[in-house]
Amino acid sequence: MDEFDDNEIARLLRLKRYEQPPPGYFENFLHEFHRRQRDEMLRQPLWRICLERAHGLMLRLDVRSLASYPAAVAAVLVCAAVISLKIYQQPETARVALQNPPALSVPASAEGEWSLTSPVATQIFRTQPVRRFNESAQTHQAAAPPRYVLDSVPVSYEPTFRF
Amino acid sequence: MDQPRVDPDQELVTRTQSGDAGAFDELVIKYTPRLYGLVYNMTSNHEDTNDLLQDIFAKAYRAIRGFRGKSSFYTWIHSIAVNMTLNFLKKRGRRFQLSLDDVDASIQNDKEFLESTATSSPVREADLSELQRRLNEAMMKLSDEHRAVVTMFHIQGMPHAEISKILRVSEGTVRSRLFYANRQLQNYLDEFRKNPVS
Repeated sequence: MDEFDDNEIARLLRLKRYEQPPPGYFENFLHEFHRRQRDEMLRQPLWRICLERAHGLMLRLDVRSLASYPAAVAAVLVCAAVISLKIYQQPETARVALQNPPALSVPASAEGEWSLTSPVATQIFRTQPVRRFNESAQTHQAAAPPRYVLDSVPVSYEPTFRF
Repeated sequence: MDQPRVDPDQELVTRTQSGDAGAFDELVIKYTPRLYGLVYNMTSNHEDTNDLLQDIFAKAYRAIRGFRGKSSFYTWIHSIAVNMTLNFLKKRGRRFQLSLDDVDASIQNDKEFLESTATSSPVREADLSELQRRLNEAMMKLSDEHRAVVTMFHIQGMPHAEISKILRVSEGTVRSRLFYANRQLQNYLDEFRKNPVS
């Protein structure tokens, strides 16, 4: 048998079990492990060490089974409350400014119906607003603050109620 | 050679999970020699093996609270070791890291070694240390995944089923990788036998 067969290969590979680390390696390994663990712990910030200790204590006391669901629900409720408060505390004008530009888009057929000479009140009424954002800006002074009311579209044709 | 259904390390694991660091020390002492063999034969470098072993046990210690016992601790720690070693080897690239100085020179006087080689005609004819060197070279020519399977099966003596659990592949894949790796090793060593000086 001149060639290496599977058994020969397996037998040779089994011999690699005898390859060992330097003497005393396994005895020192645990000390080295502890030393590295300590070094790693010293590099951690204090709050993380405290957090880990607290977590370990909770696990030991088995607090998790008692407190996990209420704590999770409370956390979700607090988050929801904070987010909703932030949303409702935003200024109203900011929201209007964001919503108006898309509402001012104009169909192509309205092109040319607007000019500086034509008064706003005489515009043809359409079911859709016919102003473009840029044209709207031309009806005002350059220094004037932006307006967000569509004054070209009457709200109602009913006579004004007078006393 | 199947693993027993009751995990023999269960008590040590439970104690570690409840904060007993001494229990984890016992696990480290128990598994260091075996994991050393696994990692060393995948990296072929003692320093890399030492650093990897430290990282493997550190990671296991951090993660052991999440260990739910779906597999044995043996399988779990071997999975961590193999995955971390494969990641390390990918980062290291194909840099050749053969460290023959680590091979114990007294191996040729070992009784089991002599018995195992006495009946082997190619081995008997070849210079044994040279053959070991060639074998290490051949191992390093295998891909990382093939070398992992060869190490676990041939060197560590694990069954196919255990290897498939550790690598999370099918037993068929394990057998296929072994077959391919054996062919590669065989070709390389045959070449050496035909041209011993090359």
